Amino acid sequence: MKIPFSWLKAYVPLTATPAALADDLVRLGHEVESVELPRAAVKGVLVGLITSKIAHPDADKLSLLKIDIGSAEPLAIVCGAANMGEGDKVPVATIGTSLPGGITIKKGAIRGETSCGMCCSEVELGLANESAGLLILPLDAPVGMEVGEYLALEEALFDLSITPNRGDCMSARGIARDLAADAALSFTDVGGKELLLDASIGAPQVVVSEHECPLYMARKIDGITVADSPQWMQSGLILAGMRPVNGVVDVLNYVMLTMGQPMHAFDANSLNGDIAVRSAVAEESFSALDGRVLKLHAGDLVVSDDHGVIALAGIMGSEATAVTDATTTIVLESAFFKPSRISETRRTYAMVSEASMRFERGVDPAMVSIAMQQATALLIELFGGVAGEVTVRGDADSINSGGRVVCSIARIESRLGVEIPVALDDTLVRMGFGIQRAGDSLAVTVPSFRHDVSIAEDLSEEYARIVGFDAIPSLLPPLATSAPAKPDSAIHDAVAGGFLQAVTYAFISAEEQRLFVADDGLDIILENPISDAMSVMRRSVWPGLLNAAKRNLNRQQPGVALVEQGRAYQRTATGHDESSVLAWLMTGEVVSDQWHSSARSADFFDLKGAVETWLSLRGLTGRFIADDTIQGLQPGQSAKILVGRAEAGRIGRIDVDIAASFDIDTPLFVAEINLDLLSDGKQAKFVPLQEFPAVERDLVFLFDKSNAAEAILNAVRSAGGKLLADARIFDLYQGKGVAAGKVSLGVRFSLQNAKRTLTQADSDAASTAIIAAMEKRFGAVLR
Amino acid sequence: MSEIESLKGQLDSLQTAALVAFAQAEDLSALQQLRVHYLGKKGALTEVLKGVGKLPPAERPVIGQYVNQTKAALTQALELSEAELAVKGKALRIEAERLDITLSGRKQAVGALHPVQQGLDEITAIFAQMGFAVAEGPEIEDEFHNFDALNIPPEHPARAMHDTFFLKDLHSDSGEPMLLRTHTSPVQIRTMKRFLAEHGEPPLAVVAPGRVYRCDYDVTHSPMFHQVEVFKVDRDVSMAHLKGVLQHFLSTYFEKEVGIRLRPHYFPFTEPSAEVDISCVFCAAKGCRICKGSGWIEVLGSGMIHPNVLRSVGIDGDEFSGFAFGLGVERLVMLKKGIPDLRLFFENDVRFLRRMGVSK
Repeated sequence: MKIPFSWLKAYVPLTATPAALADDLVRLGHEVESVELPRAAVKGVLVGLITSKIAHPDADKLSLLKIDIGSAEPLAIVCGAANMGEGDKVPVATIGTSLPGGITIKKGAIRGETSCGMCCSEVELGLANESAGLLILPLDAPVGMEVGEYLALEEALFDLSITPNRGDCMSARGIARDLAADAALSFTDVGGKELLLDASIGAPQVVVSEHECPLYMARKIDGITVADSPQWMQSGLILAGMRPVNGVVDVLNYVMLTMGQPMHAFDANSLNGDIAVRSAVAEESFSALDGRVLKLHAGDLVVSDDHGVIALAGIMGSEATAVTDATTTIVLESAFFKPSRISETRRTYAMVSEASMRFERGVDPAMVSIAMQQATALLIELFGGVAGEVTVRGDADSINSGGRVVCSIARIESRLGVEIPVALDDTLVRMGFGIQRAGDSLAVTVPSFRHDVSIAEDLSEEYARIVGFDAIPSLLPPLATSAPAKPDSAIHDAVAGGFLQAVTYAFISAEEQRLFVADDGLDIILENPISDAMSVMRRSVWPGLLNAAKRNLNRQQPGVALVEQGRAYQRTATGHDESSVLAWLMTGEVVSDQWHSSARSADFFDLKGAVETWLSLRGLTGRFIADDTIQGLQPGQSAKILVGRAEAGRIGRIDVDIAASFDIDTPLFVAEINLDLLSDGKQAKFVPLQEFPAVERDLVFLFDKSNAAEAILNAVRSAGGKLLADARIFDLYQGKGVAAGKVSLGVRFSLQNAKRTLTQADSDAASTAIIAAMEKRFGAVLR
Repeated sequence: MSEIESLKGQLDSLQTAALVAFAQAEDLSALQQLRVHYLGKKGALTEVLKGVGKLPPAERPVIGQYVNQTKAALTQALELSEAELAVKGKALRIEAERLDITLSGRKQAVGALHPVQQGLDEITAIFAQMGFAVAEGPEIEDEFHNFDALNIPPEHPARAMHDTFFLKDLHSDSGEPMLLRTHTSPVQIRTMKRFLAEHGEPPLAVVAPGRVYRCDYDVTHSPMFHQVEVFKVDRDVSMAHLKGVLQHFLSTYFEKEVGIRLRPHYFPFTEPSAEVDISCVFCAAKGCRICKGSGWIEVLGSGMIHPNVLRSVGIDGDEFSGFAFGLGVERLVMLKKGIPDLRLFFENDVRFLRRMGVSK
């Protein structure tokens, strides 16, 4: 919300500098987004008169303008806007001007036509975040004058972010009241002129049938001549970020911005019959002022006449009943709508207006009538006409706001950690509170506009902001010593193996989900996703890692080794499940070309080794069981991982077609382990170190290829007897000298005894037993 | 010439030749050959000794002594040459084995924790050291825990500010629609309920890290990000304690004494509520682009737990009070490490991950 400094000064004799005032506002809880000095920011922007406009010969959407800025020759300017014509006055940024957005205007050529400046909208002038074209200035604007001077941008502009609980501060008046009370300055209300009413102008007939509109006022003003609002008002509205529309709308916006009460005006001649405030009927149609046609829901709060809906209450009026330049009679509306109703409707239709923002936060019931009075007076003063009586439905006092809070002073002090001296009460009294202290008891009456204050804690906040949070001391509470839970080291162990930890989104596309999980109806789908690519909760981390790999390979990274710890989500028979998973991906170079080694690409065993190492760091062992049926993995290079009795994970090479769909042509390996299925590993326990030397023997056999290394080593271990300490495959060879279907495997085993040095006879005996077992079990031949 | 003189002459010339040969030997193996040639069993000296037998017995001791002198001279010269050659040989070997030590070393594959993980670990550790217990909660939440219990009733404007992702056809046991939690605050509710069931009443102090989700995606918003929720409930917990804990945490995290500023704000689940700023860590609070010239940077939201929140879990707000705050991990990491763009966290560019993995 933008508030010009002068609007605040109209209520309070403020003498502080804008910067000092900003500090006060922050302390009081009104976040200051920025303090702008608009005039300085638009120096060099002049009022220009468009003397001619022709189409650009080479571009459909551009115009060639001649603009008089009071110099001898008119400026030639190429302009892309569409809302201006000959005779219009517009802001012209001349050569050398630096605009608030950071652009500096230079002489240039656009599609071959010279352009000596730029015509500006509110956006370029830094006065608004969006606009529908150039800012068209009133016709009386003097040509050649600094626009900053003409628009009276003399002042500071506070951009405030008002919290949702402070509806009372959604206006210059509300902010001024807070500032005046805080600084103990006088607060002078604006308005309050006596009105001459004409009883012959009938009061509008209004029927309110909804309790969500506890107060509704309407009045007719007849004989009005709608003209532009005066320059000072337009300048103020532009500064505050609103676009001047017509005199009536401008006055109502001005009253809303300064007093906080949103109002609406209907063109009385376009109304048919009585006004009703009621619930909408399902499917009822409403053509809004912004051009949208809505199908309303039953229960929406609307204002209607005999022909249908004329306003979505508190949010937006209808197109058909809007006030135009031709309007001569209006019906003014000032009301209190229930905040929750406005909030819900506004969200349903994604329709935000300055009015809805205020109603949603709750307006001051006491202002409904005062704003009606002030708007009427301003309208008559500016545009003539005569006002009739006000129709009032409901009663400001019936609205449950204000009230009384009784609490203990000690309680407030103990919650804040600071004393609240009696002197602070004066400030609260200036803010409209009534305060009585009796011993430790505090009895506070709350003003009607402070519906955010209803319990002791609310009062403690009021005291806190007056005394200032800086005045509260900084104390460490008595700290409990607790044995901190052991941090989950799963990811720490995983990156120790040389992997980089990735973090990918928990939602993926439905197509990506189907790569690794069949469509079994157990997906959890987002109701309102950002996009299709982020619409389904992942059941595997692999798609996220694949995308990360793709991105890295595209960025010329020769190898990618990623690991992610996150959750996987799915429906279950009884609801849903979030399980904690650890997932790996490896592709491309694991070793790069170096003076000491040549490049090598990742293969299955690189990743298997990483998973085995990770398990061993946790005191666990995994069994890898070949499994050709894992969706998305290449048969023959895929396995399930058993840890204890649990089938805790999967590992394998990504199907080449899937890899290709991610533009990856290097072999891609992935693994995934469900951490929830792992039991606690064995803790490391000391084992005496062996003192007597081990003996090592190598045996090389020819095996049929169908035999698994794991089975062979198990057989070696059992044949080797009690002395066998270790056995492994140290060599694997297929090719020349080895028949097709056969494989040459070198088995290295070691024997050790804790009590003696082994002899030749020991190792001979073991070798003989192993050779015999290999022949018998596998038909293997010693080479 | 007498026989003995002739033998002496032979020995002398043998010695002269041997000494020259020893001195000229190129390496130890050449020297070894020379040793064999002169001093070996069938060597030159032995050959000369064969002539001794022809001498009369009286002269034999004389020539014997002479031979021993020659042998000793040769042996000494040989050892000297050996020693010299050993030194020279070692020097040669050293020269031959000289490395270009500027060639790169064989690097070990080193992994790295994601910077967000590092942030989570650091933040959690600071609070754990202060006696806060670590807790986690589900990411798929119901409306009660994410909103209602936190004093955000259905029509509350704050509910709209949260940009909630809802989940299709998924309901809680009580039939409420399920959603992705928009903050880690529901862990407050779950942890307090669980704690009370076990222990009956406060005190409790908890730090709850986790992933949260908001339907908001642009340069400065990610639909998934990380938060840490911190809260403490006990008798007489005050805003001063909140300030003390914040001051300690922020100075520890940023590894320097930072100034903190609390500004009154509004959150439904706390009252009073405060936004917390730190003095700008980039410009020592002088004013720069990052702090928009103000010298302050907003880092988190905090406050005293609203009595309605305490009531929702059955804690008497008259007897107990508490503070709570929630901080955005990505934001704190960006500030600490000078990372300019939120999107970098989720692109998983290995160059970024490696760079940010540097442990200091």
